[in-house]
Amino acid sequence: MKNTILIIFALLAIASCSEDKDLPEVEVYEIRNIGELSTTEYTVGKIIKLDDKADEWYKYGDRKILINCKAKVKAGVDLSKIKEGDITVSGKTLTITIPPAEITSFTMDSKHIQTEMESVSGFRDGFTHAEKNKFLKQGEAAIREEILHTDIIKDAQMNAEAFLNDFYKQMGFEKVIIKQGEQDDK
Amino acid sequence: MISKDLIRLIKNIIAVGVIALVGFLVYYFFFSDSGEEELRIDDTPIHIESIRTIAEISTVSYQDEVVMDTVEYYKSEPSIYHPTEWLQLYDRNVKRRLTLIVKGEVKYGLDLTNSNFDIKSTNDSIWIKLPSPKILDVIVSPSKTEIFQEQGRWTDRDRKRLEAKAKNTLQLNAKIFKLEEKARVNSERLFKKLIQSEKIIIISFDYEK
Repeated sequence: MKNTILIIFALLAIASCSEDKDLPEVEVYEIRNIGELSTTEYTVGKIIKLDDKADEWYKYGDRKILINCKAKVKAGVDLSKIKEGDITVSGKTLTITIPPAEITSFTMDSKHIQTEMESVSGFRDGFTHAEKNKFLKQGEAAIREEILHTDIIKDAQMNAEAFLNDFYKQMGFEKVIIKQGEQDDK
Repeated sequence: MISKDLIRLIKNIIAVGVIALVGFLVYYFFFSDSGEEELRIDDTPIHIESIRTIAEISTVSYQDEVVMDTVEYYKSEPSIYHPTEWLQLYDRNVKRRLTLIVKGEVKYGLDLTNSNFDIKSTNDSIWIKLPSPKILDVIVSPSKTEIFQEQGRWTDRDRKRLEAKAKNTLQLNAKIFKLEEKARVNSERLFKKLIQSEKIIIISFDYEK
């Protein structure tokens, strides 16, 4: 009997130390009025590669992973930045100054993320989802940086001009002059 | 008077505890990949898979954060008399658990791709027929996703299922606020700003190709 009581106390002591994370309560949302004209969509792929060799003498085994991911990036112009005075009409001629093109949306959906290869040897642990998410974050940062070296912004600017030109011509203007405004640093 | 048996039992429990602690420390420091060290991915190039010309006007953005939790319990209650089930007791009978916090953005607006609109201008008025506003983007990404708790083994498919649910929840939350209507009002305001004319501007959202 005494033994049983002792075991119960020992187990209660252990259980009281266990960490039971409460679920975070989330009630934060935001609704914003925007006015973005997206005119170009690039779908880009990247192979996320990591070779985690055991550098320390006491670690035995390697871990390797290859993740194939895709991101959908849209670019265009923010029409809400057009101010009064940016559009002028003179007879059948319309002049509009539009802001420079920028990235309007970046989506990296898990639907298009695929672990192609995962290899763990020796006494090493497998990759956790928390670790995989860290690699994906690095991959995302690399895509965000590299996408700016493609023609996406140039294409978006060109397509935005073509769209507005077509739009105003359908309204009856014979000549549409589109100018590019300065980059808003705000 | 404490019996000899009880003293022996206490000594044995302490010995087992010390052995378990040493074993855990050896594993933690020498073998476990705790994920605390910063591993850097290799530098690989991006490849462009497709380029599409679009014409989408987003007029409302809804940003939200959702928590997705999935728990699996052991089928039977743990017994304190079975040392093999003590771990179960420690984990409150939770076999495995995965909790994600996903921050996302839902954008509503008009898809005018492939001239999906119509404009007619008369002497005194301009008629613009636009398509109905809809969801254009549900934006999620790894940088906006946090693995809050990961206990036990979970497959990529499990995680994807949870993230798909998070996306779905974001869309459902957005629907509560009737953002299609807001997108309609904002689109009307935006087009009136773009069309500076003394003519009467009539905008309708019933364009169908």
